[in-house]
Formats: sequence, C-alpha cells, structure tokens
Amino acid sequence: MTPTPGQSTRPERPRLRARTVGIAAALMAFSIFAAREVGFDPSTFWEVWSNPLWEKFWPIPWDWVFDSGNVLQPFVETFQIATISTILGCGLALPVGFAMSSLTTPNRPTYLVSRAVMNVVRAVPDLFWAKLMVTAIGIGAFAGAWALTIFSLAVMVKLFSETVDGADPGPLEAARAAGGRHAPSLRTGILPTVFPDYVAHALYVFELNVRASVVLGLVGAGGIGRVLEAQRQFFRFDRVLGMLVIIFVVVWVIEQVSVSLRKRLI
Amino acid sequence: MTAATQRPAPPRWTGERRGAIGVVLLVAMVWSISGLDVTLDRLLGAPSDAWAILRQMVPPAFARVAARGAVGKVFESVYIAWIGTVIGALLSLPLAFMAAHNVAPIWIRVPIRQLFNAIRAVPELILAVILIPITGLGPWAGTLAIGIHSIGTLGKWATESIESIDSGPIEAVDSTGGRWVSSMRWAVFPQVMSTISSYWLFRFEINVRASAVLGMIGAGGVGSELVSHLVFRDFPAASAVLALTVGMVLTIDTVSAAVRRRIITGGVGGDDSSRSAEALSDLTGINHR
Repeated sequence: MTPTPGQSTRPERPRLRARTVGIAAALMAFSIFAAREVGFDPSTFWEVWSNPLWEKFWPIPWDWVFDSGNVLQPFVETFQIATISTILGCGLALPVGFAMSSLTTPNRPTYLVSRAVMNVVRAVPDLFWAKLMVTAIGIGAFAGAWALTIFSLAVMVKLFSETVDGADPGPLEAARAAGGRHAPSLRTGILPTVFPDYVAHALYVFELNVRASVVLGLVGAGGIGRVLEAQRQFFRFDRVLGMLVIIFVVVWVIEQVSVSLRKRLI
Repeated sequence: MTAATQRPAPPRWTGERRGAIGVVLLVAMVWSISGLDVTLDRLLGAPSDAWAILRQMVPPAFARVAARGAVGKVFESVYIAWIGTVIGALLSLPLAFMAAHNVAPIWIRVPIRQLFNAIRAVPELILAVILIPITGLGPWAGTLAIGIHSIGTLGKWATESIESIDSGPIEAVDSTGGRWVSSMRWAVFPQVMSTISSYWLFRFEINVRASAVLGMIGAGGVGSELVSHLVFRDFPAASAVLALTVGMVLTIDTVSAAVRRRIITGGVGGDDSSRSAEALSDLTGINHR
C-alpha cells in the first residue's frame, strides 16, 4: 500500500531475530543450571523470617558496644591498618604508575613487566592477599597492613597510570627538549598536572581500605573484624549487630568527607 | 630587559605547605605503625618469610588440587557470582525506576535511595556472616549475600542512568495519554537498557572476585580450597588454587569487557582484528598503540 501524500505509514515493528532469541535462551539455560548448582531456594526468602536465631539479634547491648576496650580499640587498629597501607601503597604507586604509562615509562621492558605484573596482582582478591600474609608472617594487624598495601598499590597504579595517559604531554616534551633527565622531567613536566588527581585517587583508595580493613579480621589479619568473628562464634549476634551499626556510621561519615574533598580537588 | 623575558615568580607558601603536609603524613605513619605491634625483628624478618613461602609455591601442584575438585570449586564461584548478579539485577531494576527523580515522586524515591545507601554500606562478607546461621554453610549463603549487596550498587548506577535520559520520549508518551507504566516501558526502558545491562556485566566481574573471597568463611566457592591448603601449609597446592582463580578472574574480565564494549558501541565500525587487539589489551593490561 502506498501512502497518500501528507500521510505516513506506521513504522515497521522491529522483528525478533533468531540470534537474539538464541542468546536469551542460552543465558536462561545457564542461569537455571547455575541456580541449581548454588542450591537456589526461594523458600529461604520467607522461611528466613521464622528463624529462631533472629531473636538473638535484639536488643543491642549498647553499654557493651560503647565500652572502650571492646569495639573502640579494635576500630582504632582498623584505622591504623587503613592509614599506613594507604600511605605506603600510594607512595609506591607514584614511581610504578609512571612506569606503567607509555608517556612516562623509562623504557619498553619496564612498561611491559610492570603492566603485566600489576594486572595479575589486581586479579587476586584482597582477602586472598590477607590470608597469604597471615600464613607468611603470622596472625595480626601487621599481616593485614602488608596485604592492604599490596592491594592499594594495585588499585592505585591502575587509576594513576590512566590519569597520566590522559595528561597533556606538552610540558614533558618541553622539559625533555631542554635536556632534562628522566626523573626531573617527570617531576616538573607531568607531576604538577596530575597531582590533584593523584590526591583524589589516594582518598578513594583510603575509602576502599577502610571498608576492606573492616573485614580483614575474619581471616585473622587484625582490626575490628577480629572481634566480629569472635562474637559470631559465640552466637552473640546482638553484639555483632551493634558493631555493624557503628561500622555503618563511621564508613558513611568517612565516605561523605572523602567525596566532598574529592569534589573540591577536581 | 623587557617584562616578557622575566622569569615568573615562584609560587609563594609552597615550602611551608609542603612541610606541613609532610609532618601530617609522618605523624599519621608513626601513629598507625605504633598500633600494628611491629618489632624490628618482625619487620626485618617479614621479607625473608614471604620469600621462603614464595619459593615453596613453585611449582604449583595443579594435578593434586584438580584431583580434589578445585576446578569445580572455581566454577562454583562463577555460578555464585552469576546468580547473585541475576538476583541483584532483577530486584534493583524496578527499584531504580522508583528512585530516579525525573520519573518518581519524592515520597517514594527518598526511602528507596536510602535503602540503596544502607545496603551499599554493608560488605558482602558481613552479610554472609549474618546469613550463614540462617541458610547454613554453602553456596546459597554466598549467593544471597552477593545478590543483596549488588542491589545497592546496581540500583544506584541504574538510577543515575535513568536520570540522565532525554525527556522528549516521556513527553511524547504523556501527550498521547499513556499511563506511567507505558511511559516507563516505551520512553525510558529503551534509552537506558544498554547502559544498565553493561553495568550488570561490570558488577558480575566484581562479584566473581567477591564470591572467591566468600568461600574463605564457608559461603561456597574457591576460597575454602585456598584456606584449607594454607592452614596445612601446603603451599604448592595453595599456589595452584591461586593460579586457577587468577586465570578465571582474568578470563571473565576479558570476555565481559568485550561484551560490554559491543553493547555500548554497537556492531558497526571496527573489524575483527581491532576487536581482538582490544581484548588482548584487556587480558594483559598492555596497550599496543
């Protein structure tokens, strides 16, 4: 049917293609298979509410939670782990990050090796590092600090090297054209332009570290998680819940401060 | 001498400021080291301890851990992450429509946004700690923990992408007298679905790492294998498990990144060789430019 002038036909409805249907069916099949493998059990959703354990979560024993030795002291330890590993990790990330950008790398082999190594380091989850360090150098906050240092380094070099990749190469070229050696050229040609981003990324890594250091104690690497794990094993879920409330508030406050600082920096 | 050739004055105060920042960092370092119960011999001993373990880790005992079923555990981690992502995606999608300021009234979007924030603040591991006494040890606890935690981030990202859409199609549906549901289905959904589905894949990549970790506290997956080998100080086996995990994580990251690129940029432009070059650079982290 040809449309009469001044009138248009309705556009044709897009047809369902065989490939789309095939992909959807494959995803469905995989999901169903995976759901059986993990023991998918929708009855949990309502049976959860009739579990007698819920009574153990309430009421929260606030006098226990605010007693300084129980929660406050391990929490300070958590902060100490997060602080030292952010400083060390981000400090190390400065030279390694420069090596990982094609703009600022001293030579090709350094570039290739640092990129490949950091890619593998980043693929290992943070708590795996913590467990490895606990086994290697003993239970405690010291192992946790080592693990988070490695983790911060791996995250920071990724963020920082991408910032350097996108930086203006002009000042660096000028410094090199004037005969500057490698390190001074980076110091004067690149660092001033990327430094605000570097600080912003470091704040973000600190946020990640605070979150990660809360759970480090579950594998024996110190901090508040140690108390959490101990109380869980005694089935004192009311205390666990009280600690969770404190963790929630503190993490939230840190995030707000860090986000507003980062907004001002960039 | 003309003004143009004069050397610019160095910025003032930088020396003092640098000094102040240095002092703050130094104090922070000293304070935090003081709490880590570090003695000099521990500090000096740590590198050699780590090195001794590293040497025992080579060569990895792949055959032994494979016979114990470690490969199956690696796949179990993938299943946990996948189902967790599916749960998170299905539950967060309708909530995101109720949380975006351009399509939802204020009385519903404020509580839902706060719900997203509250969920995001609790790590998966803590959720699993709470869930294990209820569901029992096993992969279902980990799946639920990941699913619940994913609602927070996925909901936040989906809300942001709904808020950044073009309002024209919504007005078009409204002007023809469409109801709220029709305007969501025909004006909003087609605009945001490509972005949101790529977020789902990105979250899946994150969840794969998370589900590997969850095994360490008994919530299913490869983490339990690593822990049991490390407890018995069986380092060749532990390094084999570690290598399998890294291989799985890198493979999934690479495939998922390629699919996300395809979803966002579409099928036009670029040939097969440029696509495989991009995938290779995802896998190795090295850009060939």
